[in-house]
Amino acid sequence: MAEKNNFVMICIAILGLVTVSFGLADILVSAGGDVTGLSILEIPGDMFRGGWGGLIVLFAGLFYLSGCKNVAEVHNASKVAIGSVLIWIMAGTDIFAMITESIPGGEDGPWFNSLSGFLGTYAPPYAPAIFLLPFSLVVVYYILKQERAR
Amino acid sequence: MKILLMGHPNVGKSVFFNRLTGANVIESNYSGTTVDYTRGYMSLDGKEVEVVDVPGTFSLDPKDRAEEVAVAMLKEAKDAYVICVIDSSKLERGLYLALQIMEEGYSVIIALNMDDVAEDKNIKIDSQKLEQILGVPVVSTIAIENIGISKVISRLKDAKPVDVEDITVMRAGMNHRGKCGCT
Amino acid sequence: MKLNPDERWDLIDSIASHVVTYGEYRHTLKDAIGELTVKPMTGIPIAIAVMYCFWSVFGSFAGTLCTDGFFVKLFDGYWLPWLQEVFPGKGGWLYSILIDAGGMTNGEFILSDNCFEAFGVLTSGLFVAIGVVLPAIVIFYLMLTLLEDIGYMPRLAVLIDTVLHKIGLHGYAIVPTILSLGCNVPAVTATRILETRKQRFIMMTLLAIFIPCGAQLGIMEEVIPGLVGYVLLYLVIGYFIFGFVLNKIVPGKSPEILIDVPQYQKPMMANVRRKLWMRVSSFFKVAVPFVLLGCVVVNVLYLVGFIQWLGDLLAPVFVGWFGVPKETAGPLVAAFLRKDLAVAQLSVIEMTQYQMLSAVVLVSIYFPCVATFAMMLKEGWKELIGSVAVLAVVVFLYGGIIHLIGKLLGVA
Repeated sequence: MAEKNNFVMICIAILGLVTVSFGLADILVSAGGDVTGLSILEIPGDMFRGGWGGLIVLFAGLFYLSGCKNVAEVHNASKVAIGSVLIWIMAGTDIFAMITESIPGGEDGPWFNSLSGFLGTYAPPYAPAIFLLPFSLVVVYYILKQERAR
Repeated sequence: MKILLMGHPNVGKSVFFNRLTGANVIESNYSGTTVDYTRGYMSLDGKEVEVVDVPGTFSLDPKDRAEEVAVAMLKEAKDAYVICVIDSSKLERGLYLALQIMEEGYSVIIALNMDDVAEDKNIKIDSQKLEQILGVPVVSTIAIENIGISKVISRLKDAKPVDVEDITVMRAGMNHRGKCGCT
Repeated sequence: MKLNPDERWDLIDSIASHVVTYGEYRHTLKDAIGELTVKPMTGIPIAIAVMYCFWSVFGSFAGTLCTDGFFVKLFDGYWLPWLQEVFPGKGGWLYSILIDAGGMTNGEFILSDNCFEAFGVLTSGLFVAIGVVLPAIVIFYLMLTLLEDIGYMPRLAVLIDTVLHKIGLHGYAIVPTILSLGCNVPAVTATRILETRKQRFIMMTLLAIFIPCGAQLGIMEEVIPGLVGYVLLYLVIGYFIFGFVLNKIVPGKSPEILIDVPQYQKPMMANVRRKLWMRVSSFFKVAVPFVLLGCVVVNVLYLVGFIQWLGDLLAPVFVGWFGVPKETAGPLVAAFLRKDLAVAQLSVIEMTQYQMLSAVVLVSIYFPCVATFAMMLKEGWKELIGSVAVLAVVVFLYGGIIHLIGKLLGVA
C-alpha cells in the first residue's frame, strides 16, 4: 500500500512540475509578446490566453504539488482535484474556441466552413493545457475511485 | 386551492417548484415592491392547482424586503396548503420556520429535502417519528433527483392544521414511554 | 396557540433529540473541495479561473461564432444592401432614419457599407439588437445560471466579502454586480438582497455608473477588441474608488451579514432552461424597444442639427478637459438611450487609441440607459436624484483624471 502511494505521489508530483513549467512558459512568452511554437506545442502569446491563462495553468500545477503528498487524505485529494478542474477550464475553453472557429466559413467564404477547413482547425499545434488534459483526467479518475472506496 | 412553497433560501425550493409544475410558469412582480416570485400550476386529482414559489425566508419575522413579501404572501392566502421545504442537514433551523407557519394555523406538509446531503454528512432523520410528533405529513425528498416529489403530492390531502400545544403533549407522552423502555 | 422564540427552540431541541441521529462526521471530497473554493489562498486562483472561463466562452460564442461568424455576414452582405436597394426615397429623411444616414462626400450622397455606420433603425438597430446583443445575452445568462445552480455564487460572495466591506457593501453585492454585466435593469432589482437604503443606494449608483452591460461588452468586443481589458480596468478602479468615497459620505448603516453556503450540486437542466428563458425574454422586452427607439431619436436629433449644436456647445469641455474630439458629443447624447449604440457610433469617429479608450470609458460611466433610469425611479426618486448627482461629479472628475493619466504616460 505504501509503495502504491509513493508511486501515485511521484506521478502527481511530476504532473505538477510539468504543469508549473508550462504555466511559467506561458507567462514569460506572453510577456515577450510572441507566439512560440515547438512542433505540435504552441504557447499562446496574448495577454488573455497567455497571461491570465498561463497564470491559471501555473495555479493548477501548484495545486497538484501541494496535494501530491499523501493523496489518500481527503484534503490533499481535493487539492489535486481542483488542479485538474483548472486544467479542464483551460483546455475546455481552448477547445470551445476551436469549435466556434471551425464552424463559420470565414469573412469572404460561404456560410459554413468546408469539411477540410473544419477539420483543419483541429490540427496541431495545441496549447499546453490540452496536452495536460488526459493526465488530469486519469488523476481525477483515481481520486474518485479512492473516494468511492472509502 | 393554492399551494405555497416556503423555506429558507438555498434549500432547493425552486428545483422543487420545477418538479411540481413543469413548463408553464409565470414570473410575477409582487405589487409595490421589486421582489419577483414565480408561480405555476399543477394538476391534482384532475384539478388545476396554483403553486407559488415564495421568496426564501428564515422566519416569519422579516429581516429584508424579500422576507417581508414572503410573509405577506403567506398572510394573504389564509386557506393555502404550505409545503415547507427543509434542508435535512439543518433540520432545527428549518423546523423553526415550519413551527411558525403551523402556529399561524396553516395546513403544513414538511419536505425534508437534500436528504443526500444529510446522508453525506452522516445525519439520519427518522421522518416517521417526526411525523408522529408533529402530526403533519413529513416526506424525505431529493428534489434534484426527483425523489419523493410524488409522495409529497400524494400526501397533500393528509395535511391539516395542527395546534402546537398538541405537539408538546405528544412529545411528553413519548418521553414517558421512552423512560419505561417501550420504544 | 403561539410560542415565543425560546419556547419554540426548546420544542425543536427536544424534537430533534428524538428524531435526529448524528453519525460520525466524515469529511467528503465534496466538502473538502467546497472549503478550498472559499479559503482566500486557494479560492482566489479558482475565482480567477472561473472568470477566465466565463470570459473566454463569452468571447468565443458571442464574438467568434455568432456575431463575426454569421451575423456580420448576414447583415452587411444581404440585409443592408437589400434594404438600401428596395427602400424608396434615398437621401430623404425617412430613409435616413430607417435605413441609412449615409455620408456626404463632395456633395454626393454615399451609402454606408456596413451596419455599424448606417445608423438606420432597421439596419444598425436590428443588427445591434439581434446580431450582437442577443448572442451575448444568451451565453452570459446561461453561464451565470449554471454558476448559480451549481452553487458557486455564494462562495464567490464569501470570498469577496472582505473587499466589498470597504465600500460599505457585503459579499452578496457580487450578485447585482455580476448580473449587471448582463443588463443593469435586473441588477437594479437584485439590489434588494442588500439590507439598508444606504447599501442599496451605493450599489445602484455604482452599477449604473461603472458596470458596462452585456450589450456594451458585446459591442466593445466587436469594435475595439484590443481595448476592452483597459476599459474594464478603468471601470473596476472607479467602482472601488467611488464606492469607498460613497461609503464615507452617504449616511446610514452597513450591517454585517451571515452568508449561507450551500453544497455544490449538479444543476437541473429544466431549472436552467426556465431561468435562462425568463432572463433573456424579459431583457428583450425591455431592451429591444429602447435600441430601436434610441436609433429613431438619435437620427432625428442629428437631422435637426441638435447634436451639432450640442457638440459645439460642449466642445471646450470635451476637447480641453476630457481630451476627446468634439464629435463624441453625439454618442454621449445617444448613450442616454442605449449605451451600446453609443459605443458603435464612437467606433466610426476618427481618433487616437487613447482618445477612443477615454471616450468608451466615459460613455460607459456617462449614464444608465433609459430602461435602467426607469427602474431606479421605481426604487425611489430620492435615490435617483442622488445617483444622478454622483454621476455628474464622477463623469467630470474621472474624465479629467483619465485624460491626466494619459498625459502623464505621454499617450494622450
